[in-house]
Amino acid sequence: MRPVYITGTGAFLPGEPITNDAMETYIGELGDEHRRLGRATLRRNGIRQRHYTRTADGQITHSNAQLAANAVREALTQGRCRDDRLDFLATGTTQGDLLVPGFASAVQAELGIANLEIASFQSVCASSLMALKMAQFSVQSGQSEAAVASGSESACRWFQPDFYAESYRDNPDPGVEFLRWTLSDGAGAVLIEPEPAASGRSLRIDWIEQRSFADRFPACMYAGMADNRHDTEVWSHYRSPGEAHQAGALTLKQDLKLLYQIFPVWVGYYLEVLDKHGIEPGDIDAFLPHYSARSLGREMERLLEATGAMIPTERWFNNLETRGNTGSASVFVMLDDWLRSTDPQPGQTVLCFVPESGRALAAFMHLTVV
Amino acid sequence: MSQTDVQHLMRRLTRVWTEFESRLLTVPIIRDARESRLRLADYRMLLKDHYAQVLDGSAWIARAASSVTRPHLELRSQFLRHAVTEHRDYAMLAHDYTACDGDPSDLDAARKNIGSVALSAWMFQRASQPNPFDLMGAMFIIEGLGQWFARTFAEAVTDALSLTDEQVTFYRYHADHDPDHLNELEAALGSGILDTPGMADAIVETATVTARLYLLQLEEVGHYG
Repeated sequence: MRPVYITGTGAFLPGEPITNDAMETYIGELGDEHRRLGRATLRRNGIRQRHYTRTADGQITHSNAQLAANAVREALTQGRCRDDRLDFLATGTTQGDLLVPGFASAVQAELGIANLEIASFQSVCASSLMALKMAQFSVQSGQSEAAVASGSESACRWFQPDFYAESYRDNPDPGVEFLRWTLSDGAGAVLIEPEPAASGRSLRIDWIEQRSFADRFPACMYAGMADNRHDTEVWSHYRSPGEAHQAGALTLKQDLKLLYQIFPVWVGYYLEVLDKHGIEPGDIDAFLPHYSARSLGREMERLLEATGAMIPTERWFNNLETRGNTGSASVFVMLDDWLRSTDPQPGQTVLCFVPESGRALAAFMHLTVV
Repeated sequence: MSQTDVQHLMRRLTRVWTEFESRLLTVPIIRDARESRLRLADYRMLLKDHYAQVLDGSAWIARAASSVTRPHLELRSQFLRHAVTEHRDYAMLAHDYTACDGDPSDLDAARKNIGSVALSAWMFQRASQPNPFDLMGAMFIIEGLGQWFARTFAEAVTDALSLTDEQVTFYRYHADHDPDHLNELEAALGSGILDTPGMADAIVETATVTARLYLLQLEEVGHYG
């Protein structure tokens, strides 16, 4: 198997940054109680600004596919890769623009690049690492010479007032508002090749590890059913999309109680990954977690300390505060910012952590600067 | 025994704990509660089974305490403190059983379910060994599991059956009163017991078996052989 290197990264965040005070101009107003829940969410998630694919007067500026294509373009430019060199495109997103066909087709169409193999990964925050792992194997095995993986989200479409059932105005839900005031739009991409870039820093992909715990947890972050108690009552089983909409089956939801119950398996899996690869927290030079330290909670932090597994907080790098939580794009947007804003030195190691609450999975990626 | 050894043992125990804790949601009685298939009679049955189980709980911890010899007498006191807290549990279970329209005299004849029989036999067997410090890990698992189970179950059963707080005092108590088991375990592990050859592996093994049997007694609610 050949080694694999990230030779270019790209991020695309649409429009100007939107401050907390201006958010409702873009996601609309639902009610005072919704706003109160939103303010509480902002205090917890620490996000100060984010980007939306909308203008203040409600015009859509980009499709999800356009976001992804812009990030891929940026990664190709930065990696000095000609279009005809690229032979593989893998995309990750929570929800593409279309129900059918797959998202990677739309991104290729936007890019206008010929002779590509494509793969569409649909999950939540970790879908981009699923895409990257496919790209990694493709280059490692010699099937691909230059592959690109993207993560992109157009989250704000879920959050428009009329996207919710009419009854939602009178029944605000903390989990729904948590997402509405946390998620925003953007895209990230990485270019990978079997050799490091001729100039500048590249990142060798040492391994990507991922495990799902859907065998034991119900859906935690979901859209397509009114609640997560009965998996079989899905949106397409209603008599019409209109009926599904009014039943709340098209709302993006988060089960906050369940989220709290998932934390321990993320910690347990992290300890297993440390063991498997024989690494100690002190060996990690930069830790790029998709979530902020504060959302982990004191109990889990205490567990990490007791197990000697806490990576010193001064080695944490996270840009959610200024870029927003862009779901599957986040890990690549972080990596892009980390490369640009720090001075990476050969031999430094990077650990990326992407927990996905969707139905409880977690992914880790270990990189070495070359 | 270095701090790193203690931390590495804590990692192994934490993995055991998270693996079994996360399987709680797959246990039929919890899944039924989550999916609103539970009846009040199911809840009463669980209370009765747990009543039978906790009666043994304080007994095996007391047995473990009596198996501790010099120079570890400080740990004997620690076991005894646990026995006292376990002791109070069955009074709360009896209270909840009555509050759910159960006849308190049923509890006099409460039997351990087949999972509880296995769990209890295992705990007594371990507790009867000289200086059974491998039980420290088991206590961490049980109490950690106990607490997380209590929280998960109290919420699920309250929602499913529209219960009042008065009917869920046992699980609520354990969900809300969270003594720092982690500190206690770290202190015990740092006290020199790991100097005994093979003790770290024994602690992990006992914790793993205990966690499995703990789940088994939840899976076997209402089954008495």
